[in-house]
Amino acid sequence: MKLDFSFLWTAFIKLLPAVPTTINITVVSVLCGFIIGTFVALSRIYKVPVLNQISTVYVTIIRGTPMLTHLMILYVGLPLLIDGLGKEFGWSFRSVSIPMIGFAYISFSITAGAYFSEVIRSGMQAVNKGQLEAAHAIGMTTPQALRRIVFPQAFAAALPNLSNSVIGMLHGSTLAFTVSVVDINAQAQIVASTNWKFFEAYLAAALVFWGLTILIERLTALLEKRVNLYNRGGVA
Amino acid sequence: MIKLRQISKSFGRNEVLKGIDLTVEKGEVVAILGPSGSGKTTLLRCINYLEKPNDGEISIDDFTVHCRKPVKKDIHILRQKTAMVFQQYNLFRHKTALENVMEGLVIVKKLPKDEARKKSIELLEKVGLGNKLDSYPSQLSGGQQQRVGIARALALNPEVILFDEPTSALDPELVGEVLAVIRKIAKEGITMIIVTHEMSFAQDVANHVVFMDEGVIVEEGNPREIFQSPKEERTRQFLARITPESTYVI
Repeated sequence: MKLDFSFLWTAFIKLLPAVPTTINITVVSVLCGFIIGTFVALSRIYKVPVLNQISTVYVTIIRGTPMLTHLMILYVGLPLLIDGLGKEFGWSFRSVSIPMIGFAYISFSITAGAYFSEVIRSGMQAVNKGQLEAAHAIGMTTPQALRRIVFPQAFAAALPNLSNSVIGMLHGSTLAFTVSVVDINAQAQIVASTNWKFFEAYLAAALVFWGLTILIERLTALLEKRVNLYNRGGVA
Repeated sequence: MIKLRQISKSFGRNEVLKGIDLTVEKGEVVAILGPSGSGKTTLLRCINYLEKPNDGEISIDDFTVHCRKPVKKDIHILRQKTAMVFQQYNLFRHKTALENVMEGLVIVKKLPKDEARKKSIELLEKVGLGNKLDSYPSQLSGGQQQRVGIARALALNPEVILFDEPTSALDPELVGEVLAVIRKIAKEGITMIIVTHEMSFAQDVANHVVFMDEGVIVEEGNPREIFQSPKEERTRQFLARITPESTYVI
């Protein structure tokens, strides 16, 4: 076997235009997942009636099924639902006008929400109960105490796991090719389809993903240093 | 004036407080003594609603919380009128000493930042930590952390400061500095309720001693009455065990 280095380089360059697509999918799903996850974690920690049960079911179903399955079900199911309702209520909006990447955004956000909720929940539980009590004791309301005292510490505690989940979503975003979104991996396939040098093309894709992952790791390390500033003492 | 009427609290089937009545005058320093499990910490925590009493009334001057059906807003007001110093200090770990004291002033009392900062620095100087303003709790000793805790409580100008065994988690060497600060602020006429095991401190600083056992107040009075001529057998037993040196005759 001979590795065609010059094609590896060509493929690498040709993959770069697909990078924004991958990053978009990752950023959207991580941000939405973070918001969904926070609400789910709060409803579960505070055992909010109804929401708690819905959240528990949501987390177990989503974590219990593959990310690809979520995408497939949504891809097939959402148009049925939208067009069905559209017919009922006489909307002019049709499911064909949803861009393909929209399915990836929605589906991966739902996936990320379930995983993130557990990360956020564990982060919040890592914060000593005395912190919330002290905040209440000085007269803060629970929302104030959560925002100012609990969340910052929970974020610091959850950061290593959060970065893990972000990397997971980055790599998971490759599944978007199944709904014809041209991400880095799909682009590699397209690049290689002319000369059948799939090995070089996928190797180039791996390098791009590795680079993006290192970037996330570096950013996390920086952030970790910043949010953990208060732990630098040694006295307990 | 703080008035507790028929405060009762159960954890499941375990009845921890069995209808406590207690009146604390303005400026009084109350020491609550008693064996472990007597309910003294629970009583203290009920006063600012870190524990929800099952029944009874808590009044501070003419403001009253009815514990059977408390209004959320009333609990919030009650907490603003009280402050707590914890056994485990519970300083906000991600905030410096100065930020810990400022937090309540800025967020709860809505003071402008400059004013809050000025007041907080004054308070930290008062507890002897003027040189530790920018230290995080993890960089402070237990005694220093507890003194920040006291400054944080003082900052809110509460009607009463509740101390929950403020020196129990400290190295013996560090107890003195915390007690000295408490003694200093006691002299300023701030109402305080202190749960403590430091008998000599209670005798020295308190002007009202309460002895609790098994969820009831067994006996209360001024320190001389309680320490030198307790009326109840249970108080005598407790004091004899906890201050054995007084029973020795050399």
